[in-house]
Amino acid sequence: MVSTLSTPRTTTTVIWARALLLAAAGGLGLGMLAGNAQHGPLTLGTVLEVLVGWSFVACGIFLWARRPANRLGPLMTTVGMLWLLGRTMTLVPSPVIYTAGLWLTDLWAAAFALFLLSFPTGRLTSGADRAIVGIFLFVTVPLEFLWLLFLAPESGQNALGLAADPNAAHVIDRIQRVLISIGAVLLVISLGWRWLRSSGPVRRQMAPVLVGAVAILLQSASWIVLSSGTSLEVLDDLIFVAQIAIPISVLSVVLQSRMARAGVADLVVELGRTPTPARLRDALANALGDPTLQVAYWEPGQDRFVDAAGQVMELPEDGTGQAVTMLERNGVREAVIIHDAILLEEPGLMAAVASAMRLAVENERLTAAVEAQLQEVRASRARIVEAGDLERRRVERDLHDGAQQRLVSLSLELQVARRALGEGGDPAVRSSLERAAEEALAALSELRDLALGIHPLILTEGGLGEAVESLADRTSVDVSVDIGAERYSPAVEGAAYFVISEALANVTKYAQATKIVVRVRGLDDHVSIEVDDDGIGGADPRAGSGLRGLADRLAVLDGTITIVSPIGGGTRISAQIPTIHPTPDPVSAL
Amino acid sequence: MDPMSTILIIDDDPRFRTQARDVLEADGFVVIGQAVNGASGLEAALSLRPDFVLLDIGLPDVEGFKVARALAINRPPPQVVLTSTRDARAYGRRLVNDDSLGFIPKEQISGAAIRALVDRG
Repeated sequence: MVSTLSTPRTTTTVIWARALLLAAAGGLGLGMLAGNAQHGPLTLGTVLEVLVGWSFVACGIFLWARRPANRLGPLMTTVGMLWLLGRTMTLVPSPVIYTAGLWLTDLWAAAFALFLLSFPTGRLTSGADRAIVGIFLFVTVPLEFLWLLFLAPESGQNALGLAADPNAAHVIDRIQRVLISIGAVLLVISLGWRWLRSSGPVRRQMAPVLVGAVAILLQSASWIVLSSGTSLEVLDDLIFVAQIAIPISVLSVVLQSRMARAGVADLVVELGRTPTPARLRDALANALGDPTLQVAYWEPGQDRFVDAAGQVMELPEDGTGQAVTMLERNGVREAVIIHDAILLEEPGLMAAVASAMRLAVENERLTAAVEAQLQEVRASRARIVEAGDLERRRVERDLHDGAQQRLVSLSLELQVARRALGEGGDPAVRSSLERAAEEALAALSELRDLALGIHPLILTEGGLGEAVESLADRTSVDVSVDIGAERYSPAVEGAAYFVISEALANVTKYAQATKIVVRVRGLDDHVSIEVDDDGIGGADPRAGSGLRGLADRLAVLDGTITIVSPIGGGTRISAQIPTIHPTPDPVSAL
Repeated sequence: MDPMSTILIIDDDPRFRTQARDVLEADGFVVIGQAVNGASGLEAALSLRPDFVLLDIGLPDVEGFKVARALAINRPPPQVVLTSTRDARAYGRRLVNDDSLGFIPKEQISGAAIRALVDRG
């Protein structure tokens, strides 16, 4: 059985009908008290009898109003009304009304059995239960009719006693009592069986109907043991008290399950923490008060449900006491909650729980997708930086092996030519050779600057310390360097080198500083870099693309850079670069 | 200094070896040998016992700095002059060591440049 999460609307007619029924029950009860008062002082039993009817009608109407979808409310109202109507009618001095009242009083037993067996949905779920109700109906409709036919009209009251035959009436009465007793035994067995197979909370909820079933069994048994006309007053009173309590208990079960709604708030909080599948199941079980609850996830490719551990799960059949609430997204099934069927009586609660869980499942899906994308972006960014570094090294090497060597060779060749020419020769040729040699040297110098900017060989060969000291040596401002000889990964050394190199370049260009201090400290899990100058300050990190590029480069390594540059107070650039970080996917050789 | 100092050239680039030999011989050095890598250079230095070794830092088999260190234990040790297509900025303070006389970028190789290093050292 799959729940449809809808709430029927209550029309004005229904509200009026409930008010009228309530008024009628009140009137009938008072009439019953008045009728009995005419025959003598009111007994406790009579008062209790009236209270039984009122209890059923009042609780039934209350339940009907609170749970319009549940047939149990109208059914309880019916049970109470039959009770009051039948008993009051037998007090009326009119054979027809008296006879009808007698019939309705017995018909009450069938309605009561139906009420007990259809708890908590108001619907019979099995053939056996239908058969039991059938027994009660058989006894209270055709057999009752026969019995009334043969029953002698007592003081002219039985309007149906057309073929008065006391013996036949007695036999039919015995058959009725035995059949009702059999029905009552079956009723107790059926409810007892359901109770045994139910989970804890459902067992507690079933307690009142079990009491009711036992009460009807006791009553029918007493009818057999005791001859007709007599009754055990104390037993009757006890049974009345039990019958008064039954509707109230059924209502309290409803109120209890209403309290479960408060659990939904906790559930939403719990689901907000994107719980593990096991915690999700526990949270749902707690919110719904059903320890047998299970969650199954739909496997679209396999067309089957699996639990969180991937085990295939079968959905429960109808009539097993379990039900299924489907969670769908955009019409696509995602998961089901397998829960006690009694929870279907809480469509609002199940809808709230289902929405909360849908949000959690959706949240989990989005979080996983974003996380995966973020991982991919970080990995690809790291790959891009690493590929860029490799490419820089390759270009530097190509320059060295190619153009630089040719220019070196050209310079040497020009020297050789100049020597061959000696002090003699054409002065014009000699000065031309001089200029050519100067040009070659200038070209070589520019090419070396370029190569050094692309990739400082000293960084890979000698490490960060040597590279930074070399950097300091050729900075025009006085630089003091405090750095160890530790080596780090090429990515970390590259980033650190470019931070310092960019910082020194900026200081030289803009800061008008006379002194720069570079400190590099290798700590447990990161390298800390500080570059201080005594210049004019006021550096704006957003102004130059160089510093922004540094921040991007550091971000690849989860590093950070901060610039403090008060106007007139010098500049401090500090950077932290983690030395422990996940290695990106290996880059294919370039 | 002996005007006819002997020198061994260790470099994998044949064009440079030829040009260096031409320049240095024009400047009064006697080029007594040439080697194409660190290993053969060390052998040649042992057998030829040159006064000077012109040593490329970027050799194909072993870094020039290490060859210089190995040469320094020869008795008598040759005077080692480091050279490279790159300039001094590519090597930084590694060029300042006890194993060599100093560094001259390749395009500036000349007898005068080597003598200037000797005079300075």
